Amino acid sequence: MTAVAAALPSAAAASPAASAPRLAWLRERGMGASILVAAISSGFGVLLIAVTGYIGAWLRADPYIGGGETLAIVVAILTVLLVGVAVYVAAIVTANTFSTIVAGRTRRIALMRLIGASARSQRSEIAGQGLVVGALGAITGLVLGAFAAWALAEWGAPALGMTVEHSVLEPALLAPAVIVALTTWAAAWTGSRRVLTVTPLQALGGSVERSLDEIVRPGRRATAITLFVVGAVFLGLGIAVGLVNPLGVVVAFFGGLLSFTGLALGATLVMPPLLRLTGRLFGDSATARLAAENALRYPERSSRMAIGVVMGVTLVTMFAVASESVKLVMAASSGGELPVEMATLLDTFTAVMMALVGVSAVIAAVGLVNLLTIGVVQRRRELGLLRALGLTSSQVRRVVLLEAAHVTITAVVFGLVLGIAYGWAAAQSLLGSVQIPPLWLSPTFVLPGIPWVAVAAIVVATAALTLVAAVVPTRLATRVAPVEALAE
Amino acid sequence: MELTSSELGLAARVHTLTKTYGTGAGEVRALDDVSVGIRRGEFTAIMGPSGSGKSTLMHIMAGLDAPTRGRAWIGDTEITGLSDLELTILRRRRVGFVFQAFNLVPTLDAWSNIVLPFDLDGRRLSALEKARIDGLVETLGLTQRLRHRPHELSGGQQQRVAIARALATSPDLVFADEPTGNLDSRSGREVLSLLQTATREHGQSIAMVTHDPVAASHADRVLFLGDGRIVADKPRQSAEEISAFMLATELGAAAVAS
Repeated sequence: MTAVAAALPSAAAASPAASAPRLAWLRERGMGASILVAAISSGFGVLLIAVTGYIGAWLRADPYIGGGETLAIVVAILTVLLVGVAVYVAAIVTANTFSTIVAGRTRRIALMRLIGASARSQRSEIAGQGLVVGALGAITGLVLGAFAAWALAEWGAPALGMTVEHSVLEPALLAPAVIVALTTWAAAWTGSRRVLTVTPLQALGGSVERSLDEIVRPGRRATAITLFVVGAVFLGLGIAVGLVNPLGVVVAFFGGLLSFTGLALGATLVMPPLLRLTGRLFGDSATARLAAENALRYPERSSRMAIGVVMGVTLVTMFAVASESVKLVMAASSGGELPVEMATLLDTFTAVMMALVGVSAVIAAVGLVNLLTIGVVQRRRELGLLRALGLTSSQVRRVVLLEAAHVTITAVVFGLVLGIAYGWAAAQSLLGSVQIPPLWLSPTFVLPGIPWVAVAAIVVATAALTLVAAVVPTRLATRVAPVEALAE
Repeated sequence: MELTSSELGLAARVHTLTKTYGTGAGEVRALDDVSVGIRRGEFTAIMGPSGSGKSTLMHIMAGLDAPTRGRAWIGDTEITGLSDLELTILRRRRVGFVFQAFNLVPTLDAWSNIVLPFDLDGRRLSALEKARIDGLVETLGLTQRLRHRPHELSGGQQQRVAIARALATSPDLVFADEPTGNLDSRSGREVLSLLQTATREHGQSIAMVTHDPVAASHADRVLFLGDGRIVADKPRQSAEEISAFMLATELGAAAVAS
């Protein structure tokens, strides 16, 4: 019964009727990170739309280039895709965060159910919190993004010699902010599905924690597999068409989009085996085993945590590999050396694209750090037990670090492999029909060019992410006093 | 010269132990100048109502908490003043724990939970230890359950796994904190007789914190705590005698208060 008594004050704090400030729940762990995620995706969308709008205006005003309708359409499509990916990753991260928050609130929700609250009202409350978090983040992003765009137009562009009469603050900037607020709301609703499975009885017993939180959804599984297979077929088709016509890349593009969406939806099918494989690499010391088991404790949670990073890394790698492969083919077709201007142009385009999709990777990284932290907070009792049984604080540190490494290493290796595959598919389907000396025959087989600098940068970024991801959880975990945790 | 614990025949002892929480007017004295020893090879019950300081005493004796004043030993090692690392390693090698609930690491199966203290120490089981643990597993009826995760085990089975883990290293002392608190009476009796057997047949020293007279009646010795002091130290008692004594002290305290 002590648990119920302990849960009471916090439950009271969460209810609007209590005298505590209505927004006290915003201080709960995970909410801040969700606001940050919403702010990054909204700010990114706002800035991107403003900047492309400005560049578009500048191009139209340019007497030599003029018009540039096709370019404008391509830029618009790219903008929508880039913002779409960022918002999608943000939504996965937010849904995951909310489902983790719900898992941590099980006792409190059960208590509210016991007192007489309906599961629906409990879920609506959490979704409502998602809307508030989304709106706060979206507005923050809107303000910061708009300010950055204004500053760029005011000082940045003239410094580059771009001057045009164009206000960057256009109504279109509201679109990403509204979309982010709504997707965060939807993500919170999706992530709070577990509320429906909480029974009032869970407020009472000292029931043992179940180690799986998976709700098997065969429908989603079938959709994921179908999307992946259809996507792979289109990808193959695109490559085949690409052998005779560069337009193969369009077919391959849709194949890539479908198959990748399939992978993202089917994360819970793909990631756990990969995570398990990584776990084996760490050996079988107690710390390594504890870390490996922790990373797989909630397969759904870890899978979604990892898939965000996978998406970011895949996209960044894809652009790097595609560009490198294109350079190889171009160089070969022009007889060995790529013209310097062309190489610079390609490199610039790739760097810009990598930076833009990199935003999604950053969002995923925020989600990863956040989830690892909440994971440690929710394991206080277990950490207390382990400390009592003789786990030293340096062993605690190692467990947390290995747990972070587990997810990041798996995600990055998988992302690199996928990125190389997609990048190569893009290059092959675009350039398969290019004729190459000395025989001047097509089809050409494009070798995937591996941009080692980019790969090295990604690996370094991963190592840094792992360390950063482990900092806060480690601090929290080593602070757990065995007695305190066992008394809960 | 001061006598050592082993010369006194003690598995653990504390000397003039005081533990206070808070300061000034809000100060709470959980333990008040307690000196007591846990005899080697005995099953000792530490009884007392909620707030009597029995859990605090156990936590300090087990090296889980530090006293405000006083000294504590496990075997001949003085544990007051040890660093966190030294205490952790001492707990790992020389103390066993059975808690009321949440005893097992949920991600590890029963066997991994049992040998966790060895794994944390980074060492493999010797043939002798392996044989001993196999014997324990057999006695505790866990042979068929070794590959099960905690959530696949009943409360009684979980508690038996915890006992196996606590006994696995044949520690100086096993601390059991309300080990039957979450069990039905049949599983509870089982757990108590297993602890009793460990003392009788293997000379394992055990200190059990409880407020259940039936549980305490399985012990060789019963220590009663009240308001942070030891109020009685009795040999084996029946549950009725323990209840009668507790009721008398409770009524006495109530009479003083009114």
